[in-house]
Amino acid sequence: MNNYTEPKIYTVSKINRYIKSLFESDYNLQNVWILGEISNFKLHSSGHMYFVLKDQESQIKGVMFRGSNLNLQFMPQDGMKVKVMGDIRVYERKGEYQLYAKKIVEAGKGELYLAFERLKEKLKAEGLFSEEFKKKLPLIPQRIAVITSPTGAAIRDILTISLRRFPNLSILVVPSLVQGTFAAQEIAQKIDFLNKYFSDLDFIIIGRGGGSLEELWAFNEEILARSIYNSKIPIVSAVGHETDFTISDFVADLRSPTPSAAAEMTIPDMNSLINNIDLLNSKLMRATKRNFELKMETLNSLTKSLQYQGPENKITQYYQYIDEFNGRLNSRIKHQIELFKERVKKDSQRLDSLSPWAVIERGYSICRKLPHLEIVKRLEQVEIGNEIEVIISDGRISGKVDKKEAVSS
Amino acid sequence: MKTKKKPEEISFEEYLRKLESIIQQLEGGQLTLDESVKLYEEGMSISKLCLEKLNKTKQKIEQLVVKGEEKYLLKPFSINKGENKVNEF
Repeated sequence: MNNYTEPKIYTVSKINRYIKSLFESDYNLQNVWILGEISNFKLHSSGHMYFVLKDQESQIKGVMFRGSNLNLQFMPQDGMKVKVMGDIRVYERKGEYQLYAKKIVEAGKGELYLAFERLKEKLKAEGLFSEEFKKKLPLIPQRIAVITSPTGAAIRDILTISLRRFPNLSILVVPSLVQGTFAAQEIAQKIDFLNKYFSDLDFIIIGRGGGSLEELWAFNEEILARSIYNSKIPIVSAVGHETDFTISDFVADLRSPTPSAAAEMTIPDMNSLINNIDLLNSKLMRATKRNFELKMETLNSLTKSLQYQGPENKITQYYQYIDEFNGRLNSRIKHQIELFKERVKKDSQRLDSLSPWAVIERGYSICRKLPHLEIVKRLEQVEIGNEIEVIISDGRISGKVDKKEAVSS
Repeated sequence: MKTKKKPEEISFEEYLRKLESIIQQLEGGQLTLDESVKLYEEGMSISKLCLEKLNKTKQKIEQLVVKGEEKYLLKPFSINKGENKVNEF
């Protein structure tokens, strides 16, 4: 019993985690390429793909997550022979190991695809695809060259569209093989040749219509890539249909999905250019006119304020002041006159009531002594024999004083 | 210092940019009358130059025939299929 040691006990998850770490530390199981046939393929609604990869004797479970399969060039199907690249890891929850696929290539196309990927990585690392090396195309090209098959649809499409868009264009057609063993070399030579003798070219379109990966292969070759990269004249790559990418596309200064698109993208539309200039012209005229109007407005408002400040205005102001003053003066005088009239009227009424005639009317009379007509108020003013006259309301009575008699009071 | 370029050295884009900047200056409205007249005249002559640029080149379609390392010919090229007999290729 004393030799007996208690065996080490693992939980299931612990042992699975340990196995998982073993897989992950083995670099032979990372980025490994496996050849096999797809079966039990399922595309889950989450976008992840599940499948089994098998050969005659064995099979391995595989999964390709959404993030990886977005770049897939085809939809895998049961029975398809493929090369799968990925990591082999343990799915702890089920205690299963499986292939976590990063790339799937159809087996038949595998060699070319691998060559493509290798060259792409290599040239990318060298910086041939860098944006900073991309040359800008002029808006208005005057002379362009097209390197392609002189008998293919590509050249006809490019010429037709280019000349429709911009009739005043000089186009140099440079015939070349575009597929087969010598195509890449020939296109590269033509690019070099044009750089040597036709440096006035605005840009060069190289291209061909769509085709299989093999047919487009020339545009994936290093010799052509380097020639494009070294070209002083900008290069437009116009190869195949929209889904095909070639090395030329990556190196070229401009990539277009098809030859027709290359013409659409690089050749400006003459009419819209003319329209644009017309538009700018009318903008120019409007802006200038507006400037004039602004100056005119400023001038007008200045003139107005000048008139307001000027002597002319002062004088009219004085005129007005004087008129106002006159008016006030008039009304004041009129008022004064009214007052006088009023007073005169009152006075004359009072005068009337005081007038001696009013008294005489009532029966009193005035006695005056001749010859000086002094009014007789007291006895002592007259002597017996003095001539007097008595004024009554409707006349005079004359006579002599013959008696004086004092009235006792 | 930038030296003044000849009209043929100035690109269409440069002309357009210049025309646009002239219009912007005019639209800014901070110019003297003389300046705006000057700019207007400059703008008009630029737009004329732009149109001239568009019509400068004549349509020409040629085919390059390489005759060796340094020799080549230029032949007219027709869009229509079959009219271009090219023996060299």
